[in-house]
Amino acid sequence: MRGAMFVQAYGDAARGLIGLAVFAAVLELLPRIGVVSHVYFPPISAIVVALVHEAGRAAFWVSLFLTLRSWAVGLAIAVIAGTGVGLFIGSFETLRRLTASTIELLRPIPSVALIPLVVLLYGSTIRSTLVLVVYASVWQVLIQVLYGVQDVDPVARQTAVSFRFGRWGQLRHVVWPTTLPYLMTGIRLAAAVALILTITSELIIGAPGLGKQIALAQSGGAVATMYAYVLVTGLIGVAVNLVARVLERRVMHWHPSVRPSMHRARTP
Amino acid sequence: MKSSLAMKSALTMKSALGLIALALAAAFATGSSARAADKVTVGVIPIVDVAPIYLGKEKGFFEKQGIDLTLQLAQGGAAIVPSVVSGQYQFGFSNMTSLIVAQSRGLDFKVVAAGDSSTGKAGKDFSAIVVPKDSTISGAGDLAGKTVAVNNLKNIGDTTVKAAMRKAGGDPSGVKFVELAFPDMPAAVANGRVDAAWVVEPFLTITRDQGAKVVSWNLVDTADRLMTAAYFTTARYAKSHPDIVKRFTAAMNQSLDYAQNHREEARRELLSYTRIPKDVVDRITLPDWTTKINRKSTQTLADLAVKDGLVKKRPDLGSLLP
Repeated sequence: MRGAMFVQAYGDAARGLIGLAVFAAVLELLPRIGVVSHVYFPPISAIVVALVHEAGRAAFWVSLFLTLRSWAVGLAIAVIAGTGVGLFIGSFETLRRLTASTIELLRPIPSVALIPLVVLLYGSTIRSTLVLVVYASVWQVLIQVLYGVQDVDPVARQTAVSFRFGRWGQLRHVVWPTTLPYLMTGIRLAAAVALILTITSELIIGAPGLGKQIALAQSGGAVATMYAYVLVTGLIGVAVNLVARVLERRVMHWHPSVRPSMHRARTP
Repeated sequence: MKSSLAMKSALTMKSALGLIALALAAAFATGSSARAADKVTVGVIPIVDVAPIYLGKEKGFFEKQGIDLTLQLAQGGAAIVPSVVSGQYQFGFSNMTSLIVAQSRGLDFKVVAAGDSSTGKAGKDFSAIVVPKDSTISGAGDLAGKTVAVNNLKNIGDTTVKAAMRKAGGDPSGVKFVELAFPDMPAAVANGRVDAAWVVEPFLTITRDQGAKVVSWNLVDTADRLMTAAYFTTARYAKSHPDIVKRFTAAMNQSLDYAQNHREEARRELLSYTRIPKDVVDRITLPDWTTKINRKSTQTLADLAVKDGLVKKRPDLGSLLP
């Protein structure tokens, strides 16, 4: 059983790598045969050369660190706030009904629409990035936690009440196990959104980080360098997703969707 | 144990020596640098034009005036103006038309130093109108009815392009402007997505490398040695901190003078704060970094702003310019 799974996992990985290699080959070929201009779309080999060159500069590593820090700090604030507020609002039916309309009003506001406001408040600083990141990702967590609390089995809840579980006991043993899968989904979504907003803020406002390096390379006409930074942000995106998935499996090893003995739910 | 003690005493010895050195340095320091330097943040854009302030900072011109200078790279004037208004930046860098428009909308700005100016020489300026290599357009007069890319609509680009058209005897009313960032212009021109584009260095050199032709030196055609941009602050700050403004202006003018007289050093400076490739840096045309505030060219820009409908009210240049 386990062996078969490993074979399948390795097969998936191998196919994934082959797919990537073909994609890279196409990217290399298109500018070389002149389908796209190599001036604006350099072949992938030129981008990799530019990336290697960038990796030798201190500014690259400082920017990488600043981007990851903004992302991590923003995400942590969003997860803690979203979970806390979600559990609290979700625990009181009246409160949930009272706040639902406000949440539905605020949630669809795209974080980027707040850019003029944060520029006015904090200028081209990391604080601007944090405001945008937290605003965008807190909803992902909050909404999922609210759904999770809603999803608690009434029978389980009533059973807990008959066994004289206190409010804390109910939260710990009934609400939390039900909410956790939702929360993990929320964190995975929030992690991706937080990264998008981190880069956007650096790119548009000029807050320090990888996004600013993209903008600097662009405004200097250093095309290959610009793509090199774009590539790095893409790689970070892949890494963030991988980490989020591993975390999800670790935290929810007991859950049917993750347990290997159950019918394996395939996630896209 | 013993070794750690020895290490400790060695450390104490070192720090004692350090303290003595510090005390000596303080004792020999001159009066002016003993005073704590004023912290000043200036919002600039990663473009060729601001090389003097980077060079001046490196040369210690600001330090000498008791200014602890921080340069904040913003992604364009749109991010600089609000930060200067809110007081996060004490000074900012902006093109003159933007300042004229802001002034007429009630934002009380003061120019404290010149930014950069056109060289005034056709064929040797940092700003031009370019067309694709196979274009039939041969002068600014032929742009009537064509599509021209500018980096910002209703700003210094379209007004000077129109001025160049008028000078060439063309009718500017039918020209269509589209907004495109400078870095996107070389591709747009090469692919023929626009009929012409207003470009500045380094994109002037980059588009010409790709075969684009210059049809007009729009700044030269608009006014004599047109002052393109300036360093500014708010009237409120100028009033509350006249001493810092005076020292900033002095340091800025010294930086401009230095850059003007050491142009190759200024060119090297571009490699520090921009990412323009070195082979391009070597060939671009640098702007003129005179300290002279060009009232006449600013008046021309203000007149164009009125004529082209950028502003409703005649701007008060007396309060904008020093």
